[in-house]
Amino acid sequence: MDFNFSDDQEQLRDAVRKWVDKGYDFERRRSIVAHGGFSREAYTELAELGLTGLYIPEALGGLGMGPVEGMVVMEELGRGIVLEPLTQALIAGAMLSYYAGPDLQEAWCAKVAGGEALVVLAAQERKARYDLSVCNTVAQKQGNGWTLSGAKSVVPAGDLADAFIVPAKADGKLALFLVERTASGVTTHGYLTQDGSRGAELKLSGAPAALLTLKGQEALEHATDIGIAALCAEAVGVMDKTLAITVDYMNTRKQFGVVISSFQSLRHRVADMKMQLELGRSMSYYASLKLNAPTDERRAAMSRAKFQIGNSMRFVGQQAVQLHGGIGVTDEYIVSHYFKKLTQMEMSFGDTLHHLGEVSSRMQDTAGVFA
Amino acid sequence: MDLAFTPEEEAFRQEVRAWVRANLPQETAHKVHNALRQTREDMQNWAKILGKKGWLTYAWPKQFGGPGWNAVQKHLFEEECALAGAPRIVPFGPVMVAPVIMAFGNAEQQQRFLPGIASGEVWWSQGYSEPGSGSDLASLKTRAERVGNKYIVNGQKTWTTLGQFGEWIFCLVRTSNEGKPQTGISFLLIDMKSPGVTVRPIKLLDGECEVNEVWFDNVEVPAENLIGEENKGWTYAKHLLAHERTNIADVNRAKRELERLKRIAKAEGVYDDVRFRDEIAKLEVDVVALEMLVLRVLSAEKSGKQSLDIAGLLKIRGSEMQQRYTELMMLAGGPYSLPFIQEAMEAGWQGDQIGALHCAPLAGSYFNMRKTTIYGGSNEVQRNIVAQTVLG
Repeated sequence: MDFNFSDDQEQLRDAVRKWVDKGYDFERRRSIVAHGGFSREAYTELAELGLTGLYIPEALGGLGMGPVEGMVVMEELGRGIVLEPLTQALIAGAMLSYYAGPDLQEAWCAKVAGGEALVVLAAQERKARYDLSVCNTVAQKQGNGWTLSGAKSVVPAGDLADAFIVPAKADGKLALFLVERTASGVTTHGYLTQDGSRGAELKLSGAPAALLTLKGQEALEHATDIGIAALCAEAVGVMDKTLAITVDYMNTRKQFGVVISSFQSLRHRVADMKMQLELGRSMSYYASLKLNAPTDERRAAMSRAKFQIGNSMRFVGQQAVQLHGGIGVTDEYIVSHYFKKLTQMEMSFGDTLHHLGEVSSRMQDTAGVFA
Repeated sequence: MDLAFTPEEEAFRQEVRAWVRANLPQETAHKVHNALRQTREDMQNWAKILGKKGWLTYAWPKQFGGPGWNAVQKHLFEEECALAGAPRIVPFGPVMVAPVIMAFGNAEQQQRFLPGIASGEVWWSQGYSEPGSGSDLASLKTRAERVGNKYIVNGQKTWTTLGQFGEWIFCLVRTSNEGKPQTGISFLLIDMKSPGVTVRPIKLLDGECEVNEVWFDNVEVPAENLIGEENKGWTYAKHLLAHERTNIADVNRAKRELERLKRIAKAEGVYDDVRFRDEIAKLEVDVVALEMLVLRVLSAEKSGKQSLDIAGLLKIRGSEMQQRYTELMMLAGGPYSLPFIQEAMEAGWQGDQIGALHCAPLAGSYFNMRKTTIYGGSNEVQRNIVAQTVLG
């Protein structure tokens, strides 16, 4: 039982923080949003730091690191509300490394790690909400390969990605496939999402696909849990910075002749924000440290973590805006962008009510960090 | 970073578990597991059993006869005791006054008082709060006037927990009115059998007498019972507060009570009611999050890092959860939480049971737990402290 970071992990944190502070300021972010919510240039810079290959073994061209390193990196990206979806690189890296055959690994791992290929999970379907087993996309065997038909929604940076990891039903069972965006039968339609990042609708009409794994349900659950752990860490970074911005403002803004941080009702709100932040941080540690646990334990842990983080994010985000007063609801001032990021994250990889349902249905007689 | 306890820590846990299982009286554990009334004997017997083993002083350093356990070992001991259904250690002697005597008492005082605390023989009480001094403790007025080699003490303390059993009481008393209120306070140990000490139990909303008023009417206290220097008592009391560690969150007890909540909810038929079950699920996440928070503080303590700024959150969160699980248990009992039969809270009562046996104490526990967000520095005062660390 030890929650200290190693020197290597601290160095990794410093490197990412430095890039966020120096290379990803608010003006650059604003410009990226204005140009569609995704910057290939910024994504390449993340790759140059090695981050896109974090979960890919060294033998396949990555850094071969684990969940704690992933957590450290995502926290720091959260502090800068970075738009480029590194979580997708973590998921793609893990899916290819754990589940794909050697040919697919050979073709894609090095490219994902190097940032030449942006590969994203395209799992959301219109009728599925957050149920991972609902899938109307169909895969058909065609010669040595497969073709996919169906539609996926809100795919991160979907119209700019190079390939998709797509769950589809093959002979009635869920499997994962890799589909290239430029393949025939693939159409995308991109748009901004509420936090300023990019999403897309994806249509597949007999699109050629490579089989990634027939263990589709297992792999998709794993992918989702990697996403949840990464999101929890990112959320901690976003909340940490949101609170810091709010504290700075409260110690500067004067009303009635004094700084507003002198008012007790506001001070207590800040104490409550700190509480939610630290409960969230605790559950982010918990999520990352459970990411390699056996499936049932891992799934239960992710739902507990996402439920707490969801509540924390909503409280910290809403109160940050409230404590800023009028300036908090402007687009010009930075805090509304942190709030919107937190809002979008609450609704990603299963929202808070969904995960409450998961916790509720998974309850056992005993419960705790180790049960 | 690692979530798991080390093999040595796990072995330690097994050793504690085996010993607690073998030595905790079953009748006492039954009362704790079912929130039935505990007698003075239940509490003190367990203290003496621990005392004989040398574990009542589980948080003491070796030089004073403690086992010298680190923060994690202390936590594991507390957890095993809580899960087994041991009564809570009455903290006033071994947890609260002993560290002050160790740090600021002289050798003679240490030899005189520590053995009786370590064995569980002597029951200590705390004399801090006064009718006019709650959150603003430094405004306290109980006077101790030095006359020759004695202090003459006059005044009133209140909310003295289990003071009706107390043999000794450690008090904050006013010895000076000069300067700031904090600088005129002294730390005095008083024999409760002294002439002029009157204890009056206060009946609380749950019908129990858990706290007391204590009056001092020209009570003569030998000057040798003063801890440290005159007018330095506030500093010593703050030292004591610093010793109220992670235990204040009481997360181990929360885990035990969550299990009990599920048992009651199942028996009362609400466990499969989604609306009710979801409330239990929320509490389950709260328990896990609080446990993680506690483990983070322990990890920092174990590795000798400066105490995290999150320690102040533990009291707020722990107390809110104690209130929540008792509330949910009462709601699970539903209409059968309404009958309020004092005798039914005794173990082995043979009278006419209304509803299930487990329903009898539910309302009382809920009422009793309203204290947790008030005592030990109200949660509003705790929020002031947290805000201070965040906002400056």
